[in-house]
Amino acid sequence: MAEGKNLYETVIVTSAKLGEEGSAALVERFKNLIAEHGTVQNVDDWGKRRFAYPIEKQTEGYYTLISFESGPEFTAELDRRYQITDGIMRTLIVKRDPRHLVKPQQRAPKAEEAGIDVEAIAAEAVEETAE
Amino acid sequence: MPERPERDIRRGRKGRKKVCTFCVDRAEFIDYKDVAKLRRFISERGKILPRRVTGTCARHQRELTVAIKRARHLALLPYTSD
Repeated sequence: MAEGKNLYETVIVTSAKLGEEGSAALVERFKNLIAEHGTVQNVDDWGKRRFAYPIEKQTEGYYTLISFESGPEFTAELDRRYQITDGIMRTLIVKRDPRHLVKPQQRAPKAEEAGIDVEAIAAEAVEETAE
Repeated sequence: MPERPERDIRRGRKGRKKVCTFCVDRAEFIDYKDVAKLRRFISERGKILPRRVTGTCARHQRELTVAIKRARHLALLPYTSD
């Protein structure tokens, strides 16, 4: 990794009012902005999702995840641009730990093998506290 | 150290040792994007379940709360539900 560069990922939630193209255009603009200050590594479009709670009286939005590499000073600028851009409902910028990079996929199947039933345990414990 | 007796001997309840799911999975980090997994650690009202309920170890509980709060911010999880 280059000196002074960090790995980040950012999630942009755009208003469903923008429509598919409007939202894609907005995301494209930020992709370019990021590319100017660093390198975009991966873009993951989650599509339209329902919110868990209404935001600005809207119930759904488009989610996009962008992984990138940049210097640490860029995140503040990126956040500033997020705040002054209309149509963006929520954003998150998180630094990724380079040690965790390799295997997000491998983890998934193991949970079932282990056979630990969290819900059963949780239910039992709730019962216990209720007594 | 002697093994800790299972809980609630007084009331004759058969204890069951709870194990931290993240340790079992050897999870390297807890992902705020993994909504399905995070959901198992919040109550019906959207509250984060305590360690005594889920059996999560201290370290992973700390990571878990951060992940849940990030997910809430993005409206992937509710802050509350009625």
